[in-house]
Amino acid sequence: MMGDWANGGSFLELLGQRQSIGSLGTQGLPGSADAHGAGPGIQATTILAFHYRGGVLVAGDRRATAGNRIMTNRVDKVLEIDGHSLMAIAGSPAFAIEMARVLEHTFKYYRRSQLTDMSVEGKLRILSQLLKENISMAFQGVGAVVPLFVTQDPGTFETHIYFYDILGAHFEGAPFAVGGSGSLEVQGILRYLDRWGNEGGLAGMPEDEAVVLALRLLEAASYFDSATGGIQVRETVYPIVKLLDRSGIRTISEEELKERYRTGVERV
Amino acid sequence: MNVFDEPYRWVEAVGQRRDYIEEQLKRSSPAIAQSVAEGILFFTFYRRMPKVFEVYDRIAMGAIGHPADIESARMMLLNAAHVEGFQRSPKDVTLNRLVLFVLAPRLKTAFEEVMAPPLIYRSILAEAGPSPESDTFYLVDYDGNVNQAERQMVAAGTESSRERVLSRLTKSEGFPSLREALPVLMEAFLYGSLGDEELGIDPSGNWADPEKLKSARKKLFEESCPNITLLDREKRILVGVNVQDLKKDAGIS
Repeated sequence: MMGDWANGGSFLELLGQRQSIGSLGTQGLPGSADAHGAGPGIQATTILAFHYRGGVLVAGDRRATAGNRIMTNRVDKVLEIDGHSLMAIAGSPAFAIEMARVLEHTFKYYRRSQLTDMSVEGKLRILSQLLKENISMAFQGVGAVVPLFVTQDPGTFETHIYFYDILGAHFEGAPFAVGGSGSLEVQGILRYLDRWGNEGGLAGMPEDEAVVLALRLLEAASYFDSATGGIQVRETVYPIVKLLDRSGIRTISEEELKERYRTGVERV
Repeated sequence: MNVFDEPYRWVEAVGQRRDYIEEQLKRSSPAIAQSVAEGILFFTFYRRMPKVFEVYDRIAMGAIGHPADIESARMMLLNAAHVEGFQRSPKDVTLNRLVLFVLAPRLKTAFEEVMAPPLIYRSILAEAGPSPESDTFYLVDYDGNVNQAERQMVAAGTESSRERVLSRLTKSEGFPSLREALPVLMEAFLYGSLGDEELGIDPSGNWADPEKLKSARKKLFEESCPNITLLDREKRILVGVNVQDLKKDAGIS
């Protein structure tokens, strides 16, 4: 009986013991990739993260598509994993959201059982492991997940942006990282602004300008990429914009986004 | 002939087991949990190992007993809560379910397995609701016995110590703020841990000798560590509490 009570600190192991991990296993499903090799889902998307003066901004549009059909315009692609980690998802929503749930419980189980936060490196490894376990689904074209992971070292308050490939390799994005089919435009603009924009590059930008920039970037992406939702004012669907700074995670409210859109995007 | 062949011997063995565990628990200093406006305030001091732990979102445990046994119960709760929270929803992890269907039955089984070493464990489990009125408290004992209460809960080494603490806790209408509750809990903790003589309390129950009280406070801080944390209603996790004022009262800067 005492065996069940042992403190290993690993939530995945705990789930494995109870044989309930199910969908996250490496077993394949019949199916084939669509024309873009992405399958139904939100790889057709735009997610972005960049350093601004106060911390890191993470944003994503709200559209989910299956081929050329719009499934919904109200998906949240920027997910809070714990008090100091955000994950932005591109790829199969089912697997991406499941991975986010596993991460959330893995981090909080570790923190509570070990009485200390997991290191940044440890958190990165767990996401790598989940992506690696998902390789067969990715190659069958039904379950690819390509996330951005933004996390803060709770001791030093240093915040880092990481992007992953579908095999689970992670790279640091300094000063920005992007993901999804609309990311090409966003990547170019961010590089341009960081190199030739205001002095200090993106990392010198104040918060209000950073939020406006995120809205402009998503609108620019949606201009060229049909799978990116952009900003739909008439339906009051605004992107998700979250900030991670020294005080933790903050979600920019719809009212504030509306105001920023009115003054910083529509008017100019 | 062993204890299983003869019911009388089994009853006797269980009785001796109870005496042994109570004897071990006797030396523990009390743990108190109190509903305050900001959440649930856990208040105790420890010499070797902390006694207050987060179990899940909104749920925490304050336990007395043997550290290894507290750890066993803690991990059982953590495992059950996190698997349930992942497989269903964090909203499905409730203190009621954890205590009645996970912890209590297993403690009872462990207690009655007279040939296995007993668990020396007594704990408060508390769940912070959206308002102080909806906070839930359980006292869970080594034999699987469960008591439920509202507003506050005390776990102590002996029944008399528990009653002494309870007698000093506020019973008035409404709920105190964290700041208001801290000095009350400090007094109640001391009252439950020490005798009247050591605290300078006269026969009618009044704090007659302020110097004795002050030195008792000082000694407490010098010989043990405060384990005073708030299960925050908004953040839904345990957060540290500033104890500078309590230290100042004890003459420690």
